[in-house]
Formats: sequence, C-alpha cells, structure tokens
Amino acid sequence: MASLFSGKILRRRARATQTERVRERRHEGFLRYAGFRWAKISGGLCLLVIVSYALIDVQPRPNGGSWYGYTLGTVGALLILWLTALGYRKRRMTRDYWSLKAWTSAHVYLGLSLIVIGTWHTGFQLGWNVHTLAWALMMLVILSGLYGVIVYATLPAALSNNRDQMTQMQMLEAIRAFDRQLHAAAQPLGAADTAPVLAALEEDPFAGGIRARLTGRYPRCATAAAQRALAAATGGEAEARAKVVALLTQKQAALARLRAHLRLRALLEVWLYVHVPLTFALIAALSAHVISVFFYW
Amino acid sequence: MSFILRRIATTKTGKQIVRDQPLDGDTITLGRDSGNAIHVADLAVNPQHATIASADGRHVRVTAQAGLGFDLNGRTLDVADIDSAAGAELRFGGHRLTIAREGEDIVLLVERIDELSQSSKDVDETRAFSLAGVLPGKRVGAWTFALLMLLAFLVGPIWAWHSYRGVDERPQGFHADQAWLSGPLSSAHANLKGDCQSCHVEPFVAVTDRACVGCHTGEHKAMSQAHADAPPAMLLAARAPPGVGGRVLAGFAHAFNKPPGRCVDCHSEHEGAGPMPATPQKFCADCHDGMAARLKAAGFKATVADAADFGTGHPEFRPLVRAAPGAKPGRAALGQGAVADYGGLKFPHDLHLQANGGVARMAASFRGRYDFGKKLECANCHRPEADGVRIAPVEMERDCAMCHSLAFESVGGVTRTLRHGEPDQVVADLYAYYRSTPPARPLQLGGMERRRPGGYAEGQVYNIYFRERAARPARAADAVRAVFSKGGACYDCHTVVPPAAGQGWQVEAVHQTPRFLGKGWFDHDAHKETACADCHTTAPRSKQASDLLVPGLSQCRDCHVGESGARLAKVETATASPCAMCHEYHGDGGKPWVPARQRRKPVIAITGAQTRALYSVAWRAPGAGGG
Repeated sequence: MASLFSGKILRRRARATQTERVRERRHEGFLRYAGFRWAKISGGLCLLVIVSYALIDVQPRPNGGSWYGYTLGTVGALLILWLTALGYRKRRMTRDYWSLKAWTSAHVYLGLSLIVIGTWHTGFQLGWNVHTLAWALMMLVILSGLYGVIVYATLPAALSNNRDQMTQMQMLEAIRAFDRQLHAAAQPLGAADTAPVLAALEEDPFAGGIRARLTGRYPRCATAAAQRALAAATGGEAEARAKVVALLTQKQAALARLRAHLRLRALLEVWLYVHVPLTFALIAALSAHVISVFFYW
Repeated sequence: MSFILRRIATTKTGKQIVRDQPLDGDTITLGRDSGNAIHVADLAVNPQHATIASADGRHVRVTAQAGLGFDLNGRTLDVADIDSAAGAELRFGGHRLTIAREGEDIVLLVERIDELSQSSKDVDETRAFSLAGVLPGKRVGAWTFALLMLLAFLVGPIWAWHSYRGVDERPQGFHADQAWLSGPLSSAHANLKGDCQSCHVEPFVAVTDRACVGCHTGEHKAMSQAHADAPPAMLLAARAPPGVGGRVLAGFAHAFNKPPGRCVDCHSEHEGAGPMPATPQKFCADCHDGMAARLKAAGFKATVADAADFGTGHPEFRPLVRAAPGAKPGRAALGQGAVADYGGLKFPHDLHLQANGGVARMAASFRGRYDFGKKLECANCHRPEADGVRIAPVEMERDCAMCHSLAFESVGGVTRTLRHGEPDQVVADLYAYYRSTPPARPLQLGGMERRRPGGYAEGQVYNIYFRERAARPARAADAVRAVFSKGGACYDCHTVVPPAAGQGWQVEAVHQTPRFLGKGWFDHDAHKETACADCHTTAPRSKQASDLLVPGLSQCRDCHVGESGARLAKVETATASPCAMCHEYHGDGGKPWVPARQRRKPVIAITGAQTRALYSVAWRAPGAGGG
C-alpha cells in the first residue's frame, strides 16, 4: 500500500516536472503562468464582488460594517496576510507544493484583485480615519507592486542592452583601468592641470543619492569637469594633456554605462523600498483597524 | 650617517621584498618629478613637493616647498622637525613616509597607502550596485512604519479610552480615538464626535440600550407600547424563522457578542452626516410578513393583518366609522362594498359640488365677497388644521353659514342669528322675537293724515293689523315648528327629534371623526399639490353624508410603491414608501419621524397663500330679496 502510494506520488511528480520543463522551454514568465490561470481566477473574483455588490441591497447604505462588508473585509485581510507570505516563501527553497513562479503569479493577480475587494469593502465611504488609512496604504502597496510588475516586464531588456555582455564588476574594472592609465598619463602635468584629474580619480562611481540613481543625471560629475577643464587648458605638456583628455573621454563613456546600469537597477529595485515597508505599515494599520472595530463594537 | 630609502614590494604570492637604497647628501628632495631623490608617482604630490634634511644625522627637518603641505599626526604642516629615533609617519597625497632610525641611518619608508582612485577601492558588489547603499534598509522602514502605525492608531486610541474611563463627559478637543471614527455621526449626535465613550462604554461590548436611554430619558425610552405589552413568547413566535443566511448571520452575531433587539438595530449611526436615516422596512417586515399564521400556529390571537411591503403586501385600510346612527365607532373593512359612517348630518356632496344648479349659482353670486369661484370647491368648506396634517371638523358658523344663514333679525344694524347647537335657545329666541316685535305695519297706518272711521271693521286695515298684533306671540310656536320641520333651517342639515314628553325639540348629535386611520399617519400637507378629488374620488357623486369618502389602499398605491419600488400595477410617478413613512414604531403619538432632506418645504411660506378667515355673516333684509 505504501509503495503503491509513493509510486503514485512519484508519477505525479514526474508529470509535474515534465510540464515544468515545457514551460521553461517556452520561457513562460510569472505573468503568463499556466495560461493566465491566476489572472482568470482573480478576474472572476473581481467580477463576483462587483456583481454581488450591485445585487445586494445593504441598508441603509453600503458599509464596511454590514455582513457583506465584513465578508469582503475578512477575505481582504486574509489575502493581505497570504500575499505578505511571499517574502517568506521566496526565502524557502522547496521542491514541493507550489513553484515560486506559481506563487508569484498568484501574488500579482490576487494582489491586483485586492483593489476591488478592498475598495468595495469600504462601500466607497472614505474619511480621515484609520480605516481609510489602511485602505490608502493597501492601495499604495498595490500600486507600487504594479509598478514593479511593469518594470520587471520592460526594463530587463534595456538593462541587458546597456551592459553589452559585461558583468557589473567588468564595468567597474573598466573604470579602474582608465583610472590607472589616467594616473600614469597625468604624471607629467603641472599642478593646475593635475587638480581636476585628481578630482576625477577621487570621484566615487557609486556616489550620488537616490535622486541621482533614479534620474541618472550627475551634473557635478568630476570626470566631465576634468575633461572640460583640460580640453580648455593651455600651456606646456600639450601632448600629455591631450592623452589625458582622451582617457577622460573614455572614462566618461565607461562611467555613463555604469550609471545607466545603476539607474536601471534603481528603477527595478526602488518599488520594493515602498512595497515592503508599506506592507508592514499596512499590516499594522490593518490590525489597528480590525481591533478598533471590535473595541468600539 | 645617511638616508636610506626603503621600498617594499609585494609579490603575487603575498611575499614582501624589501629594497634599501642609500641616498647621498644631507638634503634630499621628494616629489612627483622623476628628478627627485624620492620619486613619488602620485598626482596628489607636487613635482617638487618637499625637502628632507638632517644636520646631525638624527633630527630631521621636513619642509614643504610650495602650496601643498604634508600631514603629520593629523595636522597639515609646512615644516616639521622630527627626531628619527622617536620615528614619525608623514603623509604626502596617497603615500606614507615613515621616518625611523636603524643604527646610524635614517630609514625613509615610502608606501602607497591609499588606492590609486576611488573606484579602485574594494566594493561589496551586491551592496554597491543596488539601492541598499543609498536608501535606508527595507527592514528598518518596515519596523519604523509599523511601530508608528501601532502607536498612533492603536496604543493612542486605547490610551484615550482608558484615560476617560468612568468620566461622564469628555472635555472638548482632540482625542486619539477619533481616528477610529468609522463615519460622520448624524446631526443629532454630531456633538458626540469627540466622545466615543458616550456610546461605546465598554471595550469589546456592543453598544447597549442603556447608553441610548442615558440621554433619551423621555421619549423613545422603550419599545413601542403595543410591542412591549406583548408577552415575549408572542414576540418570538411572530418572528419569521431565519433562512440559511439569516441563521449564519445570527450565528456570527452571537459568536461576536452582538445581541439582537437593541435600539441600534434600527437606529444605525456613523452612516454619514445629516439626519439619521429612517428605519428600513425589513425591521418591521421581519415579523409582520406572514405573522398572522405564525401567531396562530403558536396559539396566539393575531390582531393585525400581515404586512410585508406597501406596494405589494399591505392590508386594506380599516377606518374608524359609526356603522349606524348613534352607534359606537368601530373599524370597518374597506373594499367589501359601500361603507357607511353616520355622523348625524345631512349633506349631499354631489349637490354642493355640481358645476351647475342652485348651489353653484349661489356660490357664484358670492364671488368677490367670499373666496368662491364659479362653483363650490372642497376648500370652500373644509379647512386644514393649523399644522396642515389633518382637516379640521366642519364648523357651522365658519364653513356653512355664509349660505345657510341663521340670521333672523337686525337690530340697529346688528344681525341676530339663531343660536347654533342650542335648540332650546333657538326656541326661546323665537318666542322672544314674536313677543317683542309687532308684525310689519301696513303702509296705510303711516302718515299724519286724518282717517275716516270704520277702519276697525271686520276686514279693514286696523282690524287686520291689530288682530295680527294681538295674535303675534302665539305665532311663535308655528315659527319654531317650521324651523325644526322639513324646509326649516335646522331640518335641512340635521336629524331632528320632535318634542316628546318632558322635553322639547332635540337635534341628533353630530360626530365628525377627526382621524379615520388611527394607526397610520396621513399628512394632508404633504399632498397639497394633489387635488382633493384625486384621492377622495367618490365625493362628487356622494348623495349621502353617511357615504365614507376616505380613500382606500388602491388610491394610495397610485403613487406609493414599496420601499424598494415593488408594485402591483403601473405607477407613473412612484414614491418609495417604507413602513416608517406612515407608521410610528414607538407609538408616542407623534408624526412618524422623517429625515429633514425628505421633508417637504412649507409651500405656504414660499407662495404666500393665505388661509381663509372666518366667513362674516351679514343680515340681508328679507324685503330686499322679496322674502
């Protein structure tokens, strides 16, 4: 009996692996996982909520405190907790149960369905209170997640184009190489010409705050400044200076590639800095919301 | 003594190779330029940066040439004297110059300590290329935000509740638990906005009736008298057995400690600013829909008919009528043939409302004097009460006497009328009148001219006049009889009882029912834009005063449909009508409560229409009209 049972499981697992392989070959991402299974489930859920909301006449007016409101609220709160569990699931390697891709697919589509479940739970009564705060946080989390899905779908191609088959460390290494060459080439220069080169060498390629990372604009770039200064400079050592200027131009190109890379990565990552902290803020606000309802029952 | 320049190179395997090179002279130079004794390939070092000199072979003087100095013990200096025996570390750009003494020699160790450039420094790839370096960590953000939320919106409100526990009334101002307000309070309770505890007394206990009657001490203190008098078993039997959904909801309500039957079941709060919404129909229909059968099955007597929805399931009205002359008022069932209501009056509505005929002509002749048109209208005789809700009982002097005059004499321009409602007084007045007034004096008896004798003879003018005069007091009895008999002033409208032993003329008492529908509330004022005859459809054809003209259910349903629009027939302009539009639950005699936005504006105030004053009754000389 036991062997029969385990044999069954093995066969099922083998079949599942087979399906998984086919999916891998087709490069099926989490968005179109299993033929948009979770998109359909989530869409159906939204439709069910919208239609039942229209059909059920809650007196005296639609309200989070009606039986229908409580139902939507309970579904929404449980969904929020389950969606948060993706953070736990992705850190746990497992062959069993759901693949992480399936889980992510469900996370994205069920998360989007929360827009309907949560908003319809409010009965469209919003105000300056903890209840609406929880709703607003939920919407921010969902919108940041939506942004994440969009950038995950669009930016990796740009990222790949920009890196041109280089690794991150290779990009950095290129800058280092130009720095070494610059250092050597600038030795003959006088003090006035050395200062901008030195500033260019001292420039941290990873410097700049979140604003520079997201925009990719570095208006006070020392390398660019040095290039401008030396190109405009006159005086002795013209040959050495021309070499330095050429090297600075090359370094600028390498820096630009690195900075474009950093920008794309920042755009890919920044939503998580909203999504994750606000999720926990949401769970705290949600707890306050639920407890407040029962406290002043 | 001499300077020794020491350089240390590190092989790939990590092995260090030390090379010493003696330098000649007492003074040696240091700089980026290759001509220097110590050549430092460092852009941060000037071509000729410094000189290092020793006079005694032990103390060393380091002098910076120009501009850039060097660092010693964290300070930037241009000149420094160093005891080589004690040693020192100097910094030139990214290089370190260590001065030490070995035997008789001063050893100068030059090493690059800084990276060539910033980018050459080691980086943690995962950190440097991600946003982790420029933004506070996600975990920090998560904890910070979550704690802030819990403090502001959970700990704060509970603290506010705790600190005012047992306090009757909170001071005005902000309290942290206002953040929990789930929606604006109704206008009546708006001042309780900051005082959640006035209703939510105990935590995790649903709002109790005690919180309501704490303020509502007078009116609405209890449930309806009719319901409160019923035994609890009867009330329970009346309730419709809940369906699956109802049982589930009841189960949840029980599990979450929300007992049924509280004031707040009907009077829901936090539903938005403005007046509290009217109680929905289902709170009545829960029991009254199909209640009679349930009560009967439980062994109780059902005294009211079933009602589910005004549009589809409402019993026919049962107005209060007197089924026979002099009978006690009782409830009649409409819709089962004609219903008679004997009030004691004679009044044919059809005659009075005719467009042609004597009444219309008389009314037309009064145009300009009274507010009559070409014919009589309902409003010419029926006046609403001051509040406009009901129609006041008809008063003879005010509503009838402009045509049905009781005037009988004019003394010095003052009209004397028979006393309405006091038959004995009428009789006495008529006797007095005939006793005190002579008959009309013939014209022949006037003037000062001399008359011929013989006027007293039988059939002559004196004879006729004085005989009449002598007999006049006796004529009073005839006049009294005439007034109370057919064709007389009283008889036209009243049922008259002739004198019997021991009593004089009697007029049957008149009863005008002020409110036919005692359990429902009908507001005439709310219907003033509708013509009377639209509802009182039988009035223009009614020949008897005993015809009951109260409209039935079907007339109401011409406009009024159920709360959710349910109806049996086609309705042009439908008015959704929940139970509370006509019925008052608490039974304290008032008008059913209606939210202000549903109340009608007082049209009178807008149009300036005047209500009718008393009709003034004037004496019309009988001679003028020939009678």
